[in-house]
Amino acid sequence: MPDDLRSTRAMLLAAAGALTGLGIAGYGLFTAAGTTTHAVPPEDVALVNQRPILRSDFINQLQAETGLKFSESTEADRLKVLDEMVREELLVQRGLELDFAETDQSTRNALVSTVTQQVTVSITTDQPSEDQLRDFYESHKAQYATDGTMLVRNFIVSGRSAGQQDRLDVARRAAQALRTGQPLERVVAQYGLTEAKRNDEDYYFAAKYRLGDALFAAVRDLGDGEVSAPVTLPDGVHIVLMVRNAKPVPQGYAASRTQVFSDYRSFAQQRVLDETMAFLRHRSSILIAADYAGRYRP
Amino acid sequence: MNIINRRGIAWLSGIARLIRPGGRRRAAGRQWLIPLAVLAGLSLVAAHYARDRGVLQARLLTTDPDGIAADHGLQRYAISIGRPAFQDHCASCHGRNLRGDTMRGIPNLADGDWLYGTGRVGEIERVILYGIRSGHPKAWNLASMPAFATPNPYQAYSIAPLTPHELGDVVAYVYGLRHPAADPAAAARGSHVFHKTGLCFDCHGEDARGDPAIGAPDLTDAVWLYGDGTPPSIATSIAHGLAGACPPWIGKLRPATIRAIAVYVNAAAAGGRSAQERSHAG
Repeated sequence: MPDDLRSTRAMLLAAAGALTGLGIAGYGLFTAAGTTTHAVPPEDVALVNQRPILRSDFINQLQAETGLKFSESTEADRLKVLDEMVREELLVQRGLELDFAETDQSTRNALVSTVTQQVTVSITTDQPSEDQLRDFYESHKAQYATDGTMLVRNFIVSGRSAGQQDRLDVARRAAQALRTGQPLERVVAQYGLTEAKRNDEDYYFAAKYRLGDALFAAVRDLGDGEVSAPVTLPDGVHIVLMVRNAKPVPQGYAASRTQVFSDYRSFAQQRVLDETMAFLRHRSSILIAADYAGRYRP
Repeated sequence: MNIINRRGIAWLSGIARLIRPGGRRRAAGRQWLIPLAVLAGLSLVAAHYARDRGVLQARLLTTDPDGIAADHGLQRYAISIGRPAFQDHCASCHGRNLRGDTMRGIPNLADGDWLYGTGRVGEIERVILYGIRSGHPKAWNLASMPAFATPNPYQAYSIAPLTPHELGDVVAYVYGLRHPAADPAAAARGSHVFHKTGLCFDCHGEDARGDPAIGAPDLTDAVWLYGDGTPPSIATSIAHGLAGACPPWIGKLRPATIRAIAVYVNAAAAGGRSAQERSHAG
């Protein structure tokens, strides 16, 4: 073999060897994973079957159990808590082996709750921009108003002996009497009205709850001092005197911002949750029994 | 001298012997070894630097979090990592100056007033690791502010809504904790709602000073998480409820970075607290 060729080959081999050596040395020096497989990383206090127990969790549990700062705790305290955490990890791992997620209802409940929260974590902790919030406000403007409040007096014509038509007539006349300004006490006495439980001024939602949907719908647009038309309900015919009605007033973005932010987040969370469920259903095989298959709608 | 440095010098000596002067012809044939030697030298310097960083990071992680402030060298190192990491990951909400935003209910981290815990490094680290109402099972999530002007003010358990008058009375009471009461009768009624029917005391305490174990704010100080502490602002919080959130960073940032941010925030808050104390003393 000519000298030149031999020399070139030797140089190439030396270069390849040097580069390989440098590569291996670099890998060993710069990647801890390659060299600390059996060592506990500094951020952990233990590894249990390669599952880490974080020092931060250890310190927190120690402080919670002893009520002392870490620096004030004794070695015996620390070792006791460490062993408790190792025991917990061992039992959790055993629980996973036994597949309690499949059989234990409390574990299933906890998983459902945790996964649901996990799905929406990015939304929960995200800070939307002002532009996003303003856009949301603009597209849902109708729901941003002051809280409507009302103070009412709710009277009932409930004579058992009288027929339905009679009760309705009495209620109409009583309402008319109130509208013409006759004193309330006299009208109540004259037409035999009974008053439902009197409440303080209420938000609309509370007034709706107390009056019921039908009666609330009949009174929500009344002005102060106005009297509703009679409304027939199972317990009798009602007429309502609106003492004070502060109707909701549309609010600008600045005044509504806190609520807009909350609503935006709820809306986004629901959307993400819906999308996640759609994805899970799409990739899953769900077979419904024949007696429900026709009616099952997710 | 450590073992890496001894080996490194031996390597460099060997390479130097290979390329030592031995006539122009030989040197010319081995010139290609020079960049290799430079590369090896740089690798050794980088390895040395990385090793020192690794030692410091390990110290940062294994030292009692509450003891880091006493080790100035370690604290300086932590802050050198924590400050840029905070700017990259936390400043978008808390602001580059850590002062938060009361418009968005983001707390000021530099004033020394803590919603959760007392501002110790370990407590801050826990918030960064697991977040607040973040969905992580270890997150702070014990309580949130009910929305008292809604049909179901609280999700966790049943609380009755307040009437508009009751709500107004509670506003008068809370505002009156720091200001002369404009309507003492309303404030007295509000106190009754606060301490009895409204269950406000359950989180904020009998003395309204809050509870850092559940993140309930002190209502008697001048620090407001949401709004400016005026009656309309207080009324909005009571009427519509509040539940701020902070994301969990475990798994997204390295443990050393998380602790470094906690050290940085703790140091910044200590500075803010000192400034406040100085201004009060002055």
